[in-house]
Parts: sequence; C-alpha cells; structure tokens
Amino acid sequence: MSIRSFLLLLALVLGAAALPGPTLAAGEGATAGQVPGESLGNTSDADFWRAVREGQPQTISIPDREAAVLIQSEGENWRNIRNGPISTIGGWLLVGVIILVSLYFAIRGRIRITGGRSGKRIQRFTQMQRVGHWFVASMFILLGSSGLVLLYGRYGLPYLIGKDGFATLASASLQAHNLFGPLFIASIVVLFFTFVKGNWLSRDDIGWIAKLGGFFGGHASSRFYNFGEKNWFWMSMSLGLILSVSGIILDFPALLEDRYAQQLAHIGHAASALVFISVGLGHIYLGVFGVEGAVEGMTTGTVDANWAKDHHDLWYEEVMADEAAKAGGE
Amino acid sequence: MSFLEFTEGPLWYVALVVFSVGVAWNIIGILAMRVRGDSAVPRKSPVAGGIKAIFLHMAPHGGFFSRTAYHVIVGYLFHLGLFALLLFGSFHVAFIKEWTGLSWTPLPRWGFIIASEVAFAGLILMWIRRWTDPITRQISDRDDHIGTGLTMLAMLTGCFALGEASDGLRAVHMLSVELLMLYFPFSRLMHAFTFIFSRYFMGAAYGKRGYVP
Amino acid sequence: MSNVATQVIDHFVSQVGAQAATWLQSCVHCGECAEACHFYEVTKDPRYTPAWKLEPFARAYRARKAPFAGVRRALGLAKEPDEAELNEWQELIYDSCTMCGRCTMVCPMGIDIASLVGLARKSMAANGIGPEDLFAVAEKSREVGSPLGVTPEKMEERIDWLSDEHEVDIPLNKEKAEVLLTISSIETMKYPQSIVAMAQVLNHAGIDWTFSTKGYEATNFGVLSGKADVAKVMIERIVAAAESVGAKTVIIPECGHAYGALRWTGAMMLGRPLPFEVFHITEYLAMLKRDGKLKLKPMDDAITYHDPCQISRRGGATEAAREVLDGFATGFREMSPTGNANWCCGGGGGVAAIQRATPLRLKVFEIKMKQVEDSGADIMVSACANCRQTLDGGKEHYKWDREIGSLVEIVADHLVKA
Ligand code: SF4
Ligand code: SF4
Repeated sequence: MSIRSFLLLLALVLGAAALPGPTLAAGEGATAGQVPGESLGNTSDADFWRAVREGQPQTISIPDREAAVLIQSEGENWRNIRNGPISTIGGWLLVGVIILVSLYFAIRGRIRITGGRSGKRIQRFTQMQRVGHWFVASMFILLGSSGLVLLYGRYGLPYLIGKDGFATLASASLQAHNLFGPLFIASIVVLFFTFVKGNWLSRDDIGWIAKLGGFFGGHASSRFYNFGEKNWFWMSMSLGLILSVSGIILDFPALLEDRYAQQLAHIGHAASALVFISVGLGHIYLGVFGVEGAVEGMTTGTVDANWAKDHHDLWYEEVMADEAAKAGGE
Repeated sequence: MSFLEFTEGPLWYVALVVFSVGVAWNIIGILAMRVRGDSAVPRKSPVAGGIKAIFLHMAPHGGFFSRTAYHVIVGYLFHLGLFALLLFGSFHVAFIKEWTGLSWTPLPRWGFIIASEVAFAGLILMWIRRWTDPITRQISDRDDHIGTGLTMLAMLTGCFALGEASDGLRAVHMLSVELLMLYFPFSRLMHAFTFIFSRYFMGAAYGKRGYVP
Repeated sequence: MSNVATQVIDHFVSQVGAQAATWLQSCVHCGECAEACHFYEVTKDPRYTPAWKLEPFARAYRARKAPFAGVRRALGLAKEPDEAELNEWQELIYDSCTMCGRCTMVCPMGIDIASLVGLARKSMAANGIGPEDLFAVAEKSREVGSPLGVTPEKMEERIDWLSDEHEVDIPLNKEKAEVLLTISSIETMKYPQSIVAMAQVLNHAGIDWTFSTKGYEATNFGVLSGKADVAKVMIERIVAAAESVGAKTVIIPECGHAYGALRWTGAMMLGRPLPFEVFHITEYLAMLKRDGKLKLKPMDDAITYHDPCQISRRGGATEAAREVLDGFATGFREMSPTGNANWCCGGGGGVAAIQRATPLRLKVFEIKMKQVEDSGADIMVSACANCRQTLDGGKEHYKWDREIGSLVEIVADHLVKA
C-alpha cells in the first residue's frame, strides 16, 4: 500500500469513527431535589436552592471576600463550557484539520519545485527571524502538548496509563505549562517585530484569494508573504495576545482576585489555543512536508531560486531586479 | 526496589562513579601528555599570561562584541541560569545536604523559576542557533546534539518534577540526570573542565610573547 | 588501504602534547572563530570556519590519542580521515590559513588554532601532502640557502651592487661585529631598497654590524610549509653565522614569520637557548630612538601602519612600530581594527607562495582597502616584506590608488644627515 493511499484510508477511518466523545457533565451524580452527601434534611425546596444559585454575597466575618458567596454558580457554567463545547468543538477541529491535511496530501501529494532545483540560493529569512521563529515553535510544542494533556488527557490517558500515571503526567504538564508560558510571551513579542514587515495586507492579495492560493491548481502570484501566510501571521499574533493575557491572569490569580475573570480567561485561553494548534498543524504540514524546499528558508535562511519563482514570484522578481541593479552599479 | 529507589540508589552510585572517575581520568590523561618545552627568552611572564587568558576569555574583547553578541548573551543566560538552579534550587540544596551534609540558603521559589526560565531560554536559543546558522550547521556533529539534548532532557524532567507531586517524576528526573552524567566524561561537555587548561595554555604561550589575544 | 593517511595521523598524534590536547578537546563548536577569520569574512563560506579546518585532525585525535580513544574505537565511533579527505583538506590547512592567530581572540575556549594548523601542516608535509609550489620553495631554501634562490654568491653580488648604487656602506662577512643583520629574500629580490634602508639606519646610529654569508636568510619556509628539517637548518645557519662573528644581537628584517620562527621557536628547534638576543627591526629602531640614536625629520603624509600578525598579535612587538612613528610621522593614523586585532594581509603563513590561493588572497585584500580608505590614509606602511608583497599584489590587481611601503624605508628617508 502506498503511503498516500494509507493516509487516505487513515483519514476516512478517523473521520468515520466517533470521537471518544466527552460526556456532558451537567448534573453529574445528582437527582432532582436531592442534597448531595449525608446532610440533614435530604430533600430541599426549590426556592432555597434558587436563592443560593443567585450567588449574592452575604455578610461574613472572615477577610476572604470570595467566601461571602456560598456557591459561585457561574463555576458550573464554566465547567460545562470547558468540558462541553470547548472540548468537543476543539476536539473536532483538531481531528478535522488532521483529516483535511491528510486528504490534501493524499490527493495533491507533495508540491514539488517546478523544473527542479536551480542550485541558486536566495536569502529569505535573517538569522534573527529564524531564531525568533524556532523559539516560538519550540514553545508551541512544549505548551501545546502539555496543554492538550491538561485539557484532553482525562478522556483517555487514565485508561492507558492508570489514574496515578495520569495524575503524574498532568502534574508534569502543569509545571511545564506554567514554566514556559512567560517565555512564550517574550518570544511572541520578538516574533511580531521580526516578521511584521511584509505582512501588511496589500492589493496583490486579491489576486491570490481569487485563485484560492493556487492550492487547487493554477498559479497565484505573491510577494514575500502570500495572503495565507499573512493570515497566519496576524492570527498567531492575535491568538498569541489572547493566550498571553489570559495566561497571565491564570498564572497569577491574585492579580484580579475575581473568579469570574479567571473563568473567562480560562475559556478564552483554551479556545484560542485550540484554534492556534489546529491552524498550526496546517502550517507545519505546509512548511515541513507539503511544499518541497520551503523549510530550508527557515533552517538555512536561503531558498532555491526556482522555489521562489513558484511560490513568491513577485518577490523573486524584486530580488532579481535588486541584484541586477547592484551588478550594474559595480 | 522501587524505580525511585533504583535511581537514587544503585544507578546513582554508578553514575556518580563513572562521572567522577571519567572526568578525573580525562583530565589526568590530558595533563599527563608531554608539555612542549619552550626555551625562548620570555618577554613577559607566561604564568601571568595564562591566568589573564582565563579571565579575558570570559567576555568578548578586541572589538568582537557586536559580532558575537548573540552567542555571548545566550551562552551566559544558559550557563548562569543553570548554575543558579543547580546550586541554589531548594531541592538541589536539600539533595546536596543529604549527601554531603553541606548546605546553604536556597533561592526562593520565584527565584528558582526565573533561573530556570533563563536557563531554558539560553539553551533553546543556543540549540536553535546550532541548527540555523550556516557556520554551526557546518561544524556541529552528533556529540554536540546529544550533549545538548541530554542537558535539555535533564532540565525538562526537572521542570516536570517541580510540583513535587510524585515519586515517579522525581525518579525520571534522576534518571535523566544520570544519563547526562554517564555521557559527560566522554563528550564535548568536558569543556566545563578543560576550558581552564585550554585558556591557560594559550595565555601562557602567547603571554610569554607579550600579548594575550 | 594506503597508509599515507595513517602515517599522517600517527605523526600528528605523536606531536600532540598537553596543550594541543586541551585545545583539540575543548572546542565546543560554537563557530565564533569564523567571525575573526578573514577567509570567512570575504567568502562567507562556512568551510572556512577555523574550527572546521581542524576537523579531521580533531577526529583523529579523538580516535587515537584522547582519553577513552580506545573505547571510541571499540564502539566504532571515531572514523579516522583517509587520504582522499586529507587531500581535500589541503585547501583548508594550507591555502586558507595564514596562521594569523586572530581567531584565538574570539574563541571562548582560547584555542590556538594557528598552532594546531602548524602541527597539522607538519604531519601532512612529512608525508608529502600539501601544495607543490610551497614545498618547492621550502626545498629550495634547504638547497641554496634561500627560498627565492639567493645563494651566498648571489647575496654577495647583490650587496656589492646595492652599496655601489646607493653609496652606502653595507658590511658583509666582517670578522667580528656586535650585531648580525639578516634579510628576507623577498627584500633581496623585490624590495632591495629596504636592505639599503636598514644599512643606512644602522650606520646612522653608529652600530657595529654585519651581514654574513654563513647565515643571512631569515625567512623560514620550513616553518611555513611544515617541513621541520628545513626549519631547523635555517635556524642553525643563522646561529652559526652569529657565533662566528661573535654577535650578541641578531636583527630580523621586515618579515613577520621570520621573527616568530627565530625569536619564539628558534630555541626549541635548535634544542638549546639561542646564544644571542633577537630583535625585529621595528623593535631595534624603537630602541635606537629611545636611546636618542635616531635623528628624524618630521613626516606629515597621511600614513597608516599595517600590523604584521606575527609581529603584533603573535609576536608581542605591537608597540614598537608605534614608538618609531610617534612624534615623527605627524600624519599617522590607525586603521580600525588595528594593533593586536588587525586583519591579516591574507598572504601570511606561506599562503603568498601558494599559486592556487591567489583568488582567495585577492578577495582578502578588499578588507584592507576598505580599512585604509576609512582611515583616510594615502600611504600604508608595514614591517613585513611578505605582507608588503601580498598587499602590492592586491594593489596591482585592483589598480588601487593608495601607496604601500615599508616602515624602515620611510625612517631611512627621513634621517637627519649628520
Ligand atoms: S589563524 Fe588566521 S587565517 Fe588561520 S583560521 Fe585563524 S583567523 Fe583564519
Ligand atoms: S571559537 Fe573556539 S570553541 Fe568556538 S568553534 Fe571556534 S575554535 Fe571551537
């Protein structure tokens, strides 16, 4: 079986099989009107519990402001959102991207350099850009994998490695996630400044969009970055910003002293991370496997001239014109 | 015997012995080689030159800072971060006390976290440079990557164990540190010890001539 | 399998002592040394990274001599270089290293690449691997006494002619003299004016000196090519000459490597301390000036000084030339970088004698042109005929408009006639 048909099959199987769907946790273990535990009076009246659920702060004599609320019932909403839509939609999103990418690969294969390599190298990314990129990339891997363990680990890992094993792994992931977070923030700032040039939208992008980026045949012209790459840049930046801000709120709860803000931050964090990872998978596919010769720009800093002609023809022409001008000037 | 007992017992002893005997053997092996005699009349003291070189090469000099800034900064981030967390992390201080009886004031937790972040940033940035700079791509070999990889692994598992939540994580950290120690004497990681001789010999040879480059 | 490669490696590891061992072993492959090497600077080719030039030799060391070499061999982890690889490496060990020592400045481990290249050359040369033309020059010095074929007879002729032509007294083979002056054959053949200049200055200062046909050639191509036997013969000749005239001082002319060879490695090659003091001509001039024996007319041209690596960085006599120029050359200015950090001319270490390295050498000259132009100097003097020859080659190739000269010559031109 060729690798391509294998992947096609894999994609179909994955798509058909239901996700190990997270069960909605609403009202786990409680029956209507029942008070959990061994408390006195094991039935309750609805009005009493409704009042509790309002979450109005009452008078208390200890300094902890939060203790004034008996039950912060938004917590339940948060839990439901986290374990419900976030987990489910996010999960489908991830699987969806994997399927799409595999399908694309199965159908289109690796995009080769037209006419093969020319042997002529053109400088594409500076050392600073490469360093910035790979630093963010390593943070992406460390934080992404530890984050996924924290969000999804509970659905499968305890069965695989046992409850203790999972507890250990989750603790490890939490520590790593917290430790690397600040480094991610620093690196995303560097990334912004090293890559923003050339990423502003321009008129040439319209042509690229009209041709669907040449993903489905045809040739789409572009300058240094095409519209897809620009999108990825701005998406990473805005998601990075949300992740950074929400991450700080989560890491330092004392900053806001507001449970509601924590819950919101958590949901924002998880949702943007899932989008980031999903689109990131597409980026990794195109950068490393899907397009022959692309990854070299980010490792050695140079690309083959024919690659540039294929994917960034307008930029290629600019570089050639520059070179000609320089040669003429000497 | 539990995994933790194994990594803190027999394996730890093996690693410790291989590490210390290996390092000593390596250094003695080098120093036992013939030292080339040099009977030229000195212009200046070779010993002073040698000592000068040891300190001089701690920082860029001779107008090279701008060219080597990345490596200098990142290198220092890693090394300083590593020394801080290795010698002043509270777990490490406790571990050292357990084995030697010596102890000193550890860093507070936030200090430890910052030291780790600095060390990680430095190490990752050095490793990235190894992969992306045409010069280092040309000259790096397997040993460079294994050494860096094992160091990274030891630091990562240390970070995993930060929650002090389980014996398993502690054992995994011990194991990765032991791997690093077992590899160390046979590798370029030995530069941690040989740099002193390397600089000294150069400084002595040049210092005698009058200038320590 | 042939065993030239094995012989080269045997020879190499047999030379490795404690110093070389720590250097070979401490390299952390950081690549900073490339930033200092002129060959990398002008080509940006990572193969010219100094550490890479030693790669097969470092590997051979790990496989054969380093602690645990046996373990490495047993595990098949260390591959020794074969003959083809060594041949390929000629270009890196010979053509693209001038043994200038600049890379050592930047190396965090303080590795003396230049010395290691010297060791590697010795092992390759001992087994006939290296540039034919450089070897031929070395052999010629052994046979006729000088790399450019300046035989004792030719030397006599040359000196007669020079003293007639320039009306200067050039003592040759005096019975006894306090000072023995030597020459570089590049001067004899290409810059004879410089010999005249040295004679004028020494006479002006009233020094009791002489040349000797027993030993006059200071340039040591034995050292440059790695031919240890030739290197030793060259030293022995000078020692014999000095002993026969009873000289307590030997002056090395404007030649950088000659200074390093005699001043710093001479005793080692000879196997006993040198029976005299060695000065480079710039050091000697500085001394004369300090003693008030040099009366100079001021010179106000825009002039700069190119430090020969073997005299400044690797020779320790950086200040001598400045001392001579100070106060006398009022238009003197430094290049940047200068002194101990100066960029090499590109022709040191015997590279000037390697024909196939010419394009590379010429590229290196671009650095020098820019440096001089930035300094605003019209004249660049040096104190090394080999530098001068290399720089002149560059000047000619690029039709460059600045002048290249010699320090001794400008001093001689500005002597106040008694
Ligand atoms: S000694 Fe000079 S020429 Fe040789 S590698 Fe070092 S910097 Fe380059
Ligand atoms: S600078 Fe020194 S340690 Fe770094 S690669 Fe060069 S020789 Fe090796």
